[in-house]
Amino acid sequence: MEWMARVAVQLLSGISIGVILFLVASGLSLIFGVSRVINFAHGALYMVGAYLAYSVMSQAPGSGPYFWLALLLAPLGVALLGLVVEVAFLRRIYRAEPLYQLVMTIAIAFVIGDMVRTVWGAENRSVTRPDFLTGAVSILGQPFPVYNLLVLGLAPVVLVGLWWVFYRTRWGMLVRAATWDRDMVGALGVNTSHLYTTVFLFGAWLGGLGGALVAPLQGLAPGMDTSVLLLAFVAVVIGGLGSFFGTLLAAVLLGVAQGLAVLNPLLRRFDIVIPFALMALVLIARPQGLFGQKE
Amino acid sequence: MARLAALRKEVAGWRVPVVGVSALTAGGWAAFLAISLIFPYLAPVFWVLFAIDLFTLALFALSLNLLLGYGGMVSFGHAAYYAMGAYAAAILVKRADVAMPLALAAAPFFAAAGAAVLGAFAVRLSGIAFAMLTLAFSQVVYAVVFKWTGFTGGDDGIQGVWPIKALAAPPVSNNYYYLTLGVVLLCTLLLYLLVNSPFGYTLRAIRENPRRAEMAGVNVRLHQWVAFVIAGFFAGVSGALFVFFQGSVNPDYTGIFRNADPLIAALLGGVHHFLGPALGALVYKVIFFYVGREFPFLFHLVVGAVLVVVVLLFPSGILGFVQERRWRSLVPKRKPAAAPIAAGKGQPASPLDRG
Repeated sequence: MEWMARVAVQLLSGISIGVILFLVASGLSLIFGVSRVINFAHGALYMVGAYLAYSVMSQAPGSGPYFWLALLLAPLGVALLGLVVEVAFLRRIYRAEPLYQLVMTIAIAFVIGDMVRTVWGAENRSVTRPDFLTGAVSILGQPFPVYNLLVLGLAPVVLVGLWWVFYRTRWGMLVRAATWDRDMVGALGVNTSHLYTTVFLFGAWLGGLGGALVAPLQGLAPGMDTSVLLLAFVAVVIGGLGSFFGTLLAAVLLGVAQGLAVLNPLLRRFDIVIPFALMALVLIARPQGLFGQKE
Repeated sequence: MARLAALRKEVAGWRVPVVGVSALTAGGWAAFLAISLIFPYLAPVFWVLFAIDLFTLALFALSLNLLLGYGGMVSFGHAAYYAMGAYAAAILVKRADVAMPLALAAAPFFAAAGAAVLGAFAVRLSGIAFAMLTLAFSQVVYAVVFKWTGFTGGDDGIQGVWPIKALAAPPVSNNYYYLTLGVVLLCTLLLYLLVNSPFGYTLRAIRENPRRAEMAGVNVRLHQWVAFVIAGFFAGVSGALFVFFQGSVNPDYTGIFRNADPLIAALLGGVHHFLGPALGALVYKVIFFYVGREFPFLFHLVVGAVLVVVVLLFPSGILGFVQERRWRSLVPKRKPAAAPIAAGKGQPASPLDRG
């Protein structure tokens, strides 16, 4: 019984990691789907979200209202940064070869990364969780952090919200249409330049939300942008570039794999190999990803 | 075996190309050779070490550019083969007691073998998917060397990988400088002959239009694979040279920043010029040195800002910019060659997508 309880707790913990990963990966996937740019700066945007949330929360450590305020403000700040990045740099390279897009987004990631280090310092930081989210509850006799429960509880809200945005608004319809065939959307008279900007802004907002949520969970470290970026890539590539549902499935799968790998000593030894080996396998067998459309 | 022989026949020939050398080029090389030969006697030890570091990066970037500039294959995981060369050299010396010169000579073949296996999968893809898969492979290599503690030393890597006494680096002697200079120059010459041989021209044809090359009877994937293996081999040479210079190897040899280094150098110098990546390596290293000394925490910010400027204003790199300028002043009436950034690949820029 205890074995089953441990598996259940790790499963839940893995899903909550997967949810945050999904937020980052869906932003990446959304941006790629519409503008065909792989945004290497997405991890940096996520990191800015985490640090902004930290700055707001540390105004009153442990305070509930400040926690919610951080969740509101940090993603907005990141969206604003995304707007600047898109208008100033990215929109100039949408028609360029992949090499230039790659180098441009890497350069932006470099700049943002160093700015974060300059503003907030390079040391690791832990973030105080709000009082009502500290401690653990007992699930089948195993302790489970309350904060992860909150993330799990937010997941349906986020999913329904995204579903509503993409399937019940005109903007979401345009995004789906542009993911399918952006030239046709332009030919039909849609202002695609405007669409690209708003898509990048929304993608940045999603990344910022992921960062704000992860700050109290895992703390802050200067390398957090690269590690999440690579995992988000894996999720997006496995799920299929531009596929919303595929990204969700892959992100949760990766989170669960990460959670369950803790239980097995052999798997734990190779936990960082698994995502990339999976990604390589998917790229070899099905380059467009599990749910992606063929180019 | 018969199939292998048949495949061998499909690869475009390798013959020493007829390359015209202008007096200016010959003079330039003679001057470079003369200066680099007496350099250790003029410069302080620090700059000799700097030069060794620079030569290895230049070779690393030149090897990547065989794929990037000549093959049109954007590899974001080239450091995997650099690391394979480095780890092979370190492991041969420390774990198998192989003599250092032999390890240095053998290491690139391990890198080429790794590139042969991974490249067979990678060349099935193109464009962004190719970049992603090469990145994934380099991360798999990273994870393997990180976790296989017993063999690769894990996170700490392998320390104390030094050259033999006769080849020691400064300040002990200048021999490692001359070794690096000689090996890098030899590899550069080989790469130069390669890109100007029928094989190199076939590779360029594939870059320009893979489908048309296929129609003309070229086995596209086979050529891309051979180029991938050769590029991996020379990256391995660079990695092995660097490990004996650094004295240690660790998983960062295939980390994300090491993957970006040769890409940045190649882009800075210009991917459509043979020596562009080498010049880019020099500029990159000089920036690295001065910015790293003055503002150690802003290094990536400065590199990032430089790259943004290069991508937006000088997409054809330093050499491309210089050439376009010279060309324009000679032929003022004609429009300058369209920068690749504005043209997009194979499709006219659509006015619909202009803001």
